Amino acid sequence: MPQPYTVKPDSQFLRRVLDQGGADLKQCFQCATCSAVCELSRDGTPFPRKEMIWAQWGLKDRLLADPDVWLCYQCDDCSTHCPRGARPGDVLAAVRQEVIQEYAVPRFLGRWLSQPRYLPLALLVPVVLLGLAMLLRSPIEGALGISGRTSEKIIYAYSNLLPHWLLISFFGLFTVATVVAMVAGVRRFWGAMRAADPDGQALRPLWPSITAALKDIFLHSHFSRCTTEQGRSLAHLLVFYGFAALSLVAFWVVTAAINPLTPRFAYPFNFWSPWRMLANLGGLAVLAGCGLMIRDRVLRAARGGRSSYADWLLLGTVLAVVLTGLASEAAHYARWDPHRHVIYFIHLVCVFTLLMYLPYSKLAHLVYRATAMVYAIRTGRVRPAEDRGDGEPPAQSG
Amino acid sequence: MSGNGRQRTILVAGGGISGISAAIEASEAGCQVVLVEKEPYLGGRVVQMHQYFPKLCPPTCGLEINFRRLRTSPRIRCLTLAEVETIGGGPGHYQVTIRRRPRMVNRKCTACGACVEACPVERPDAFNYGMGTTRAIYLPHPMAFPLQYVIDTDACPGAECGKCVAACPYQAIDLEMQSETIQLEVQAVIWATGWEPYDASKIEGLGFGTYPNVITNVMMERLASSNGPTAGKIQRPSDGQPIQSVAFVQCAGSRDENYLKHCSGVCCMASLKQARYVREQYPDAEISIFYIDIRTPGRLEDFYSEIQKDGKVQLIKGKVAKISEDGGDLVVEAEDTLSGERVTRKVNLVVLATGIVPQGAEVRFETGGGLARDEHGFLTEEQGLSGMLPVGCAKRPSEVAGCVRDATGAALKALHICAGSGCE
Repeated sequence: MPQPYTVKPDSQFLRRVLDQGGADLKQCFQCATCSAVCELSRDGTPFPRKEMIWAQWGLKDRLLADPDVWLCYQCDDCSTHCPRGARPGDVLAAVRQEVIQEYAVPRFLGRWLSQPRYLPLALLVPVVLLGLAMLLRSPIEGALGISGRTSEKIIYAYSNLLPHWLLISFFGLFTVATVVAMVAGVRRFWGAMRAADPDGQALRPLWPSITAALKDIFLHSHFSRCTTEQGRSLAHLLVFYGFAALSLVAFWVVTAAINPLTPRFAYPFNFWSPWRMLANLGGLAVLAGCGLMIRDRVLRAARGGRSSYADWLLLGTVLAVVLTGLASEAAHYARWDPHRHVIYFIHLVCVFTLLMYLPYSKLAHLVYRATAMVYAIRTGRVRPAEDRGDGEPPAQSG
Repeated sequence: MSGNGRQRTILVAGGGISGISAAIEASEAGCQVVLVEKEPYLGGRVVQMHQYFPKLCPPTCGLEINFRRLRTSPRIRCLTLAEVETIGGGPGHYQVTIRRRPRMVNRKCTACGACVEACPVERPDAFNYGMGTTRAIYLPHPMAFPLQYVIDTDACPGAECGKCVAACPYQAIDLEMQSETIQLEVQAVIWATGWEPYDASKIEGLGFGTYPNVITNVMMERLASSNGPTAGKIQRPSDGQPIQSVAFVQCAGSRDENYLKHCSGVCCMASLKQARYVREQYPDAEISIFYIDIRTPGRLEDFYSEIQKDGKVQLIKGKVAKISEDGGDLVVEAEDTLSGERVTRKVNLVVLATGIVPQGAEVRFETGGGLARDEHGFLTEEQGLSGMLPVGCAKRPSEVAGCVRDATGAALKALHICAGSGCE
């Protein structure tokens, strides 16, 4: 016998879902075509039909604690077959955006990034912070008695603009802040999922669940099973691995001063250095992926699909990071003074924007989705890729 | 009408249950009626039904009475194989052109069937929705009215064959028969052009046309009907085996903006009725009915309640979106929205409850344009005293009883127009 449930509709939540890309939500008449056509929907807890009625009723608590929202990749199978044009895929995207904002610490940053009118302010903050760091450089250097030019290990071309130590400490500080915010969000998310699912047994231990989830993410196993928008998983793979490459190189460079593995590290790299090539390949992969994503979104719009402000904001930021990065590199090789310093500063601002807003923007999906997948695998909602036979019915775990 | 000396004529386009009812009502009120039917027989979709809901009586008994009234009425002229082509004039004085295709069989036909034995050509049996074949010369169905054979001119090779002509002992076959054009002056036109079942092969994912054991509700009527292709035995089309399980898929293509946007209103009752057909022949068969909403308005709710008492009938709230084949069987997938779990059912036979598509005559108005329709293609009634009177399923999806009531109303409106034109 299920416990009596007091419905607590949150009309503000509903309003925001409608505004953030779920505008057709109210068309839904609960026929459940969506749950039946979805390739990723599971037998015991199919989605997105239940999410549609929760969203219609403004049941924020349920959606905040629902891992299934994050198992959807907005491939449009449901939206294409929906008999009412309610576009469940777009509604789930809007719900995910709302979940990110609800779990954001501090929350106002999430709201800023969801509304175009805060865009100038949101862009100004990283510029000011980075400018401030540059202004404070001399006083700090004076106080600590250090100089950006003292490093013998690194011949840093832009060190007169931003010395290496400042770059490391500035980005390091905000990386830590980002991680703290994400951990706080994930803890609340995990707790909510556990509380909403009192019967959900841990069928699998945590670590194997994490490995299974990571494997799925690295291979995009679930993502690539979407049929209507097949191109999406390829575009995402390009961006994903491009970013992985760029992050790896950036990490290598930033930690060079304290990394015992790099005694003879020379920066800037030679153009044919493997690191430089990896970074360039990564940048081009992200660029190609973004191109595909923009094309897909434009084509989807022609078929009635919705892209939200958050979608375009993230896509724009990522594109800005890569384009300014490549431009900065080109300007560097061309020795285009003093413009290359300006371009480099813009590039740093873009990278910093992406980093500092990670827990508040759509980019937070990388953490929430991974968390939801670990939870889903652990509780048996989703079977990891290696368990799946070729179209065989699910094996009953005994 | 009879009082003012001028002859009043009403044209009824469509000889299904709506058109027949309207024609009889108008004629019995004293009006001349021309009944035009494009098929070679009267009765429309209802003669293809096994039983009517909710009383489960065969359509034959009602039709027999109506056919007798038609036959005995001196004021009704029936034109089969005929369609309205153009209309001119206005309310009270329409000039109508009717084109009549040749039957190739004249009134001397006694329906003895000697021609069929001689005919070498087979054609798909449209009356049985393509389940089975007939010869190129055929009797549409045993209860056909008029009881006259007809030649499918698309299938028949014509005079070069001529075997039927030789075989006919009554000189009833005339392969030289030509189509003719008939001009009429009428006071009002009742549009009883009826409906056709939605083409289920357009629906993605349900496998109609690919899997032989996925059939539509209208095909189920033919399977259950004693004059159908299986002589009334409900069996699997693929191998003729009896069935142990059947799934009814409601709203197959209906209430769906990708296919047919409207609710056809009768498919819920049709499937519940067909569940009874299955139960009559198979006391132990497992019957699953997948639905979005069961719509059984008014007293029809009682029929629904009766079915719910059947322990082996399962009503599952959730639309079927996927059907796949497994051997000859079919795997039906849906979400049961009441339990919130996904349901997969393996069954011997799937019946798609396809909807009603309005069938309007492609008539040309001399003033330009055609009949007024709504967004779904149903004919719309014009405001005021218009002489264009849509009725029955051409106007909105309806069950037989509703069509008959509607036809009576339309006949009365037509009589008004006639009376009005007489008072000018």
